[in-house]
Amino acid sequence: MTGTEEQKPRPEAQDHEGSAHGTRGLTFDALRVRAQQLSLREQLERQHFLLERLNAASARLLQAVEQNQVFEAIGEIIGNLIGSEEVAIFRHYAADQAFSLMWSIGIEKETLQQFALGAGLIGRAAHDGTSQFQNRRPGTPLLLHESNLTACIPLKLDREVIGVIVILGLLPQKNGLEWADFELLKFLETYGAVAAQLQDLQKNSVTP
Amino acid sequence: MGSKKILLVDDSSTARLVTRLIFSKKSNYVLLSAVDGKDAVERAHAEKPDLILMDVMMPRMTGLEACRALKQDKATSKIPIILLTTRGEEQFVQEGYESGCSDYLTKPVNDTELLDLLKAYLGE
Repeated sequence: MTGTEEQKPRPEAQDHEGSAHGTRGLTFDALRVRAQQLSLREQLERQHFLLERLNAASARLLQAVEQNQVFEAIGEIIGNLIGSEEVAIFRHYAADQAFSLMWSIGIEKETLQQFALGAGLIGRAAHDGTSQFQNRRPGTPLLLHESNLTACIPLKLDREVIGVIVILGLLPQKNGLEWADFELLKFLETYGAVAAQLQDLQKNSVTP
Repeated sequence: MGSKKILLVDDSSTARLVTRLIFSKKSNYVLLSAVDGKDAVERAHAEKPDLILMDVMMPRMTGLEACRALKQDKATSKIPIILLTTRGEEQFVQEGYESGCSDYLTKPVNDTELLDLLKAYLGE
């Protein structure tokens, strides 16, 4: 027997290896397809989860416009769909950079008064028209009344900021805002403002 | 066998709407609703649901009070009650179980968690 012959794999071993490669290949493909399916399913479920909440939020806002309870509805949406029972909504008057409290729940009067002064993240949300999240601004010094702040969300009509939603502490079982929460807050930025404006128009309209 | 009836009790129309959406797309349960504890007790007597899903903080009669009332009444004492609450701390959960509830879910409600729990009580 030559050295070359000795190194040749036995036919059964070759078959076995070939078969093993084939199986491995198939298994890998099957696993890849399965992973893709799971990923797609997960994406669809995530989208579905978000759509359910957007659907509920828009229906609630519409109902509120008819009942002149838009701010209460925004608070209820945040309470039930995002998970905070410490919410305030301020009107913003751009001409004099003033804020006026429209609705609140679970926040002390003194803290509300501090926010109404417009300093810190509430002022930045109103000035820049962008949502301000406390945990997204590491290193930013916070004012005393902002220590428990989660977010300041501008209510925007095009570029005009007509109000700001202030969200302080989240419910104890929430570790932080999640992707669907950010989408819902983005929705409230625009549609919350539109609903508030519609409510004002409805209030101010003169009935014959 | 007909679809199982669930009585959903919540004073928040947003919460009722979200739950209705979850159920409409993912289950065959028939959903009834009530807006507070008092309403829930009345509807439970009238409809005899297979399960009650009830918020805790509500006007007129809280979920805990309604739970106690339903458990003390022979006609409704066997209906499983799942309390939905924003407060997940131990003392609140304990208070819920003492009122006679079968289970406890914290808000905001997670679709999968809710449906899995319902399946555990009502079957597929």
